[in-house]
Amino acid sequence: MRKLSVILTLTLALSLTMALTLAFAGAALAAEPILVGTTTSTADTGLLDYLVPKILKDTGLEMRWIAVGTGKALEHGKNCDVDILMVHAPGAEKKFIEEGNGVSRAEFMYNDFVLVGPAKDPARIKGKGVADSLKAIAVTKAPFASRGDDSGTHKMEQGLWKVAAMPLPDKESWYIGVGQGMLATLRIAAERGAYTLTDRGTWIKYEAKDQGKSGLVILSEGDKVLLNQYSIIQLAPKCSNIKHAAAKKLEAWFLSAVGQKEIAGFKLEGKQLFFPNAAK
Amino acid sequence: MSAPLYHLRGLEVGYGEASALIVPELSIARGSILGLVGHNGSGKSTLLKLLGFLLAPRAGELFFDGRLVDAAALRAGHVLRRRAVLLGQDTCLLKRSVAANVAYGLRLRGQPYTQEAAPQEILAGALGLVGLDFAEFGARSWRELSGGEARRVALAARLVLQPEALLLDEPTTGLDRASVGHVQQAVLAARETRGATLVIASHDVDWLKSCADQVLLMDEGRITGVL
Amino acid sequence: MDYFSEGLTQAVALLLALDPETFSAVWTTAIVTALALIASLVMGLPLGFALGHFRFPGRRGARLFVDWMLSLPTVVIGLIVYALLTSRGPLGEWGLLFSVPGMAFGLTLLGLPIVVSMTATAVESTDTRLTQTLLSLGADRWQLLLATLIEARFAMALAAATAFGRIVSEIGIAMMVGGNIKWHTRTITTAIALETGKGEFATGIALGIVLMLVALVVNLLVGLLRGRSNGTGGVSGGGGA
Repeated sequence: MRKLSVILTLTLALSLTMALTLAFAGAALAAEPILVGTTTSTADTGLLDYLVPKILKDTGLEMRWIAVGTGKALEHGKNCDVDILMVHAPGAEKKFIEEGNGVSRAEFMYNDFVLVGPAKDPARIKGKGVADSLKAIAVTKAPFASRGDDSGTHKMEQGLWKVAAMPLPDKESWYIGVGQGMLATLRIAAERGAYTLTDRGTWIKYEAKDQGKSGLVILSEGDKVLLNQYSIIQLAPKCSNIKHAAAKKLEAWFLSAVGQKEIAGFKLEGKQLFFPNAAK
Repeated sequence: MSAPLYHLRGLEVGYGEASALIVPELSIARGSILGLVGHNGSGKSTLLKLLGFLLAPRAGELFFDGRLVDAAALRAGHVLRRRAVLLGQDTCLLKRSVAANVAYGLRLRGQPYTQEAAPQEILAGALGLVGLDFAEFGARSWRELSGGEARRVALAARLVLQPEALLLDEPTTGLDRASVGHVQQAVLAARETRGATLVIASHDVDWLKSCADQVLLMDEGRITGVL
Repeated sequence: MDYFSEGLTQAVALLLALDPETFSAVWTTAIVTALALIASLVMGLPLGFALGHFRFPGRRGARLFVDWMLSLPTVVIGLIVYALLTSRGPLGEWGLLFSVPGMAFGLTLLGLPIVVSMTATAVESTDTRLTQTLLSLGADRWQLLLATLIEARFAMALAAATAFGRIVSEIGIAMMVGGNIKWHTRTITTAIALETGKGEFATGIALGIVLMLVALVVNLLVGLLRGRSNGTGGVSGGGGA
């Protein structure tokens, strides 16, 4: 019993020491941290990890990020909880700025979405455009897995049903609202033999790992409506607590020739994922 | 002799309508042994708690050593409780060794008998009174005792305090025959050697009759007779 | 099946190679848990003791409140703490959102009710008999308080171990309030969620192993303490009243 108290005391003391050590270690970091509110796609593909050291070298900024769905990222921006936003939902972004939450929106890169589905392709959509594909899926009632999490990809998918001039089939039994990340959605699609919309980055990673075992293949790609535009948004001055200057500096780097070249240089499984397109 | 150690007059204990105990008049002489007999719930334990200053009467007067025990005296009750020590039914051991348990009351009185520094003879003597060997039991943890052993340790922890009054609620219940003998001897010795006043509630009527100066029969919170 | 065994093999390799990302999450978890646990204990033990020991008006209400807090799902606590700490929230000026202290703050709200409730229950359950015992041995008011505190030590340690187990394995608060920032607020649990979401099962399993080991140690400790705190120390023999 005495031994036990000693052990407990030691544990507590040790934890305290560790806590203090970290506090000091944190304070000793020289680089200026900047917090980016972004979507899971930029973080999960590894693009941001790839860019962190380059940004640190060029600007002295240590980029950190909160990777969540676009809806939540915008909410973080609205609440001034991040310093800058890097998202991909143009419609929602414009509304965000109109409502006075942001001051500027600069497009700086894009990637694209693809429609994937089981190789057997029960709805016969291979090679069709997006609108025709979705119609075919709805007519044959082939299962379709939707992110269902208010993410950028989810918003994109909802927009595509509109493009196909169809009501959102979210009440249909063949329409599966997953409510999870892209990879989880792909796995569920594979298990249920469902079609789904995915960003190409997640798809490349999934395919590299899966090596065709699950039977999902790309069935529709290259349609103009499948392009996914990323923008950087500067938050409104009402966010007095955030680092506006650092945010401007970070944006300038992403729009600069150097930044644009670095984005193009990022490869996943040997393939380029993001295509810089900042206005000159 | 001098004034009685306890004197009770018109005393009532209870909550609400019912009275748990009503004692119109009772004197307990210094150095005497008073036995209490009665069914469960007859008020024996309540009377013992009252005498041990763990309960406040709602009416009547309680004199201890010639002084009225009023609300003010009860607020500093530990002074009284250090003179009249109760071994109750719901007494427990502290989560310590046997020796530390026996020494605890002494420590509370500011006598530096810690486990290490205690003159072992004192603790050993108290344990010996209840038939426990210090060498065997002293260092044992409270967890390693049988129910009977624990009860005897609790008694030793009170005997060692050498109080003026020792109030015992069923001190022999649940003990084996040999232990009962030890406890009975220890109780008698407390009076013989130190002149302690004893109040003992027990189901063992024969024992009480043989050792007590007076045995009271209790029922429904009242003293109903003398055996 | 080979999914699992593959993941497991890679996981062990990651752990043995002292993978910095994995250990960053382990480290952050240790810090956050330590801070939250210390805060929970420093506030919770006295509060729990007071709640269990003293009789005061409103005590039942306070007890009810603590038990209610106990039953709140952690995502709800996370949401509440987020709403408090967001820059536009009442505590926004503290700048604690997405930081280690912020997470510790949120996790303290998780640990505090556990410590308070378990301490109060322990003190309550020993109290009547212990109080009588201590009083009959001649304890004055302060001695009574001190001795009750010391007698409840195993139960308090049990409360601490239980709170530790809950805090270290928590994810809702850690995710929402911490933001899962790599190298900074990424904990074992949020990293597992992230890595699994990314399909990196090996990293997830490696972190899971660490967490399972911690859980094992905590459970052993809890078992040990429970044995000690539950022993009755009872003295009353057989029947009789």
